[in-house]
Amino acid sequence: MAILATERPAPVQQRAVLPAPKYRKVFGVGRSRLFQYVVIVILALFVIAPIVPILYQSFTDRPLYEAGGILTVQNYVHLFTDSGFGTVILNTAIFAVSTTVLTLVIAVPMAVLVVRTRLPFGKVLGLSMQWPFYISSLILSFGWITLYGPAGFVSVVVRDAIGFVPWNLYSLGGMAVTEAVALAPIAYVFCANALRQSDASLESAAQVCGAKPLRILFSVVIPMLRPPVVYASILTFSMALETLSVPLLYGTPVKIEVFSTFLYTNGLQSIRPDYGILGAASTIILFVTIATVFVQAKVLKNSQRFISVRGKATRPRRLELGWIRWVGAAGILLYVIFGATLPILGLVFRSFTLIFTPLQSPFKTLTLANYDRIFTYTAYINSIVNSVIIAAVGAVLISCLALAAVLVAKRSNFRFARTVEYLALGPQAIPGIIVGIGFFWAFALLPNALGGLFQGALAGLIVAFGLRALPTAFGSISPALMQIANELDNAARTSGADWLGAFMRVLRSLLFPAFMGAIILVFVTMMKEYSAALFLSSAHTGVIGTTMLELWVQGNSGSVAALATIQIAITAVFVAVASQFMKGHADA
Amino acid sequence: MPEVRVSHLFKKFGNVNVLNDIDFTINEGEFFTLLGPSGCGKSTTLNCIAGLEQPTAGSIAVGGTPFVDTERGIYVPTEERNLGMVFQSYALWPQMTVSKNLAMPLSIRRASRGDKAERIHDALDKVGLSHLKDRYPHELSGGQQQRVALARALVYSPSVLLLDEPLSNLDAKLREQARAWLKRLQEDLGITTVYVTHDQDEALSLSDRIAVMFEGHMAQIGTPKEIYERPATAHVAAFVGSCNFFTGKLENRNGRICQVRLDNTGAIVTIVADGDFTIGQEVTVAIRPEKLAITPEAIDVAGVNVLHTEVLTRSYVGSRYEYGLRLGRNVVQVVSADGGLDGAVRLVFDPEDALLYPGVTIPSQEAQELMTVSA
Repeated sequence: MAILATERPAPVQQRAVLPAPKYRKVFGVGRSRLFQYVVIVILALFVIAPIVPILYQSFTDRPLYEAGGILTVQNYVHLFTDSGFGTVILNTAIFAVSTTVLTLVIAVPMAVLVVRTRLPFGKVLGLSMQWPFYISSLILSFGWITLYGPAGFVSVVVRDAIGFVPWNLYSLGGMAVTEAVALAPIAYVFCANALRQSDASLESAAQVCGAKPLRILFSVVIPMLRPPVVYASILTFSMALETLSVPLLYGTPVKIEVFSTFLYTNGLQSIRPDYGILGAASTIILFVTIATVFVQAKVLKNSQRFISVRGKATRPRRLELGWIRWVGAAGILLYVIFGATLPILGLVFRSFTLIFTPLQSPFKTLTLANYDRIFTYTAYINSIVNSVIIAAVGAVLISCLALAAVLVAKRSNFRFARTVEYLALGPQAIPGIIVGIGFFWAFALLPNALGGLFQGALAGLIVAFGLRALPTAFGSISPALMQIANELDNAARTSGADWLGAFMRVLRSLLFPAFMGAIILVFVTMMKEYSAALFLSSAHTGVIGTTMLELWVQGNSGSVAALATIQIAITAVFVAVASQFMKGHADA
Repeated sequence: MPEVRVSHLFKKFGNVNVLNDIDFTINEGEFFTLLGPSGCGKSTTLNCIAGLEQPTAGSIAVGGTPFVDTERGIYVPTEERNLGMVFQSYALWPQMTVSKNLAMPLSIRRASRGDKAERIHDALDKVGLSHLKDRYPHELSGGQQQRVALARALVYSPSVLLLDEPLSNLDAKLREQARAWLKRLQEDLGITTVYVTHDQDEALSLSDRIAVMFEGHMAQIGTPKEIYERPATAHVAAFVGSCNFFTGKLENRNGRICQVRLDNTGAIVTIVADGDFTIGQEVTVAIRPEKLAITPEAIDVAGVNVLHTEVLTRSYVGSRYEYGLRLGRNVVQVVSADGGLDGAVRLVFDPEDALLYPGVTIPSQEAQELMTVSA
């Protein structure tokens, strides 16, 4: 550093001044502002398109595309008097509350054990705790039925041993347990992150005061978890409200209806669907889910005040629990094995046999017939191709839109920046089946030429699935942007780049890894999605999910298992390849 | 090199007034420093000049060109202002090499390839780093990064250079050398420079003029000498350099000569002061530690202001000794070259060296508490 003290700056030669660039303006606004308006208009159209027709339909006395509709509240009156909607509300409430409780019972202790205590094989257990997230809950339910259903593999084994089956999967309780297993990874990740961020010196302080590990756990670590637990429970609750797969597969045979299956039966299974009641029910459900998401946002905003995050990275110290740690490890292992691994393996195994029961060795009937059936019908092959196309095209489009939305929401002085954020995150409040109903009506209202572009076409499915995936993409890009210091774009601005230029020249390459991450996430999400397609697919635009349901109803559980295996394989291959690709770019 | 005119600038965030009627003019080629504690609005002022923030009211013009004028509805976006700015974190784009970092503003301005290469070479030469042009920012030391950031801000010959605490991330030893180097560079370039810092030493040693800000208000604008020796308020005196404060009452006044009875011991001191004071008024006396002299009790001193005290603490800080003396319940800080003083001593100061402020204006309650002992 002696160079600083001794070296004299070179003599100055004045160069011609390079003037700052001038940016052209259209209608008095620069291209950056124009871009921001385009983003908000696209988002607004995207989010409002499915909602407005539903609201309108709920107050109209006939299908909304028929002329001469009269405004009325009759639909709501019918809904509450003679459609059995009261029972549906009660079922939904029981289902959602018990799912939430069970999810927390699984997720919170596991998060504490994995992150904050010395657990045997802690790292492996922590990672395997998360993998059910990649599996669609539809597939998980098939897996559970295969093992634990009335004629399931495990059920039969237990009945042979003790004479009866001590559980009934086709009940509200069975639904709640399965859904809790499916949602636990999300609650786990949330609590685990909060625990990782919390300040380890708080625990050291307790230890210095003479507290023993168990004492520290209960008086310091767990009380600090309150905000993430509250948040995770609201999140779980709102997801349980809108889920379709589990109630559809378990509830339909025994006629237990919740919100989503009520819409499903009234909209798709009745011969003359009552659109008015469908609209009214959708509106009410929409209000409930929006309310939970609203509460969720409020709680999250407040909870951030409590989470202790220091700029300085402190490595969390792990507590030594003695023999209890083996109990913890065993508990997590039970969840991972019986909750997810066995059902999925069972399903995969099921796809290669004709009959899957302990009464006869399944190895005797090993076969590829289940796959044959799928690959002989073009409609089934198409549904696989469609799923891949939708997920691939959608992943790119939605990630681009989400990236633009994040930039406008987090890094611009655009007057409506907050609105952009709400619009991008809002769709998480819209249940998939309602997205389907809404777009179905929205496309029907479009002028013929334009409507034809979407109705029963892949484009329509990309739009609908995309809306569902948008909050996920936004949520994965936004933290990455927040980690890039604002001064980097300010430096670009003072250097002469306009807002859009600062992104193109500086932020774009810095955000590339996050963008790729979003693509992977959106691909997985859209690959799993099917509920919106129930209303939007035509005969040749089915997706894997709808085809599985169709085969299930026909009783072809072997082919369902085969399709599920195919979907898992596609997802796994994509995630593996894409992460590999990302690794190569991480250093750039 | 144009002058910068900032007039009647106001900025509100919600209900908080971050800037209140900030008004100053920076002359051509001047090194002008905005000094104040964090949260005083100095960075907001700089960001308003840069265009990174929009003032609620007021105007800013550089070289006669209006950048912002809320009354006339003028707002020139940052990118069209042609200013050079160095950020606290240096904000070097991490994915680009040093020369790519410098090339970006030039390619935005569509400089020719040859011109670009020459300018990059010149700018890196000025900061003595042309041999590192192919390095990435993370391969450079903090000091080198800071100089690259400076080169990037100068490479397109901007009209004004804005520096936002550019030295605060360097370690203390390097900072002093970087300061001297920066001063020489600025003088050689003759570029109008606005410098933001909370470090009074930096401000005093670098600046042609300093503007001291507190809580969104401009407290004083002046040369470093004026700011240090004639601080306009007790706050400025406390913030720039260290200072002892005593409260008291004005007993008598004869022209500029004021007699003040100190609250702590009841002793009367004589102070030469300008300004409006009425007899009986509460006042605050401020004296810098180095303006106070200590003599042993044994030696007789002739002087107007002689206070009897005793030594509480003595600390050796290398080039000098710092004493804490008891004056009633106050602890007085005194700097002396003599390390052998102890017990009862006398405190002497010249009436011209003390400052007088109206009212009881103790700048920091907490600091004052720490300077209090039980009687």
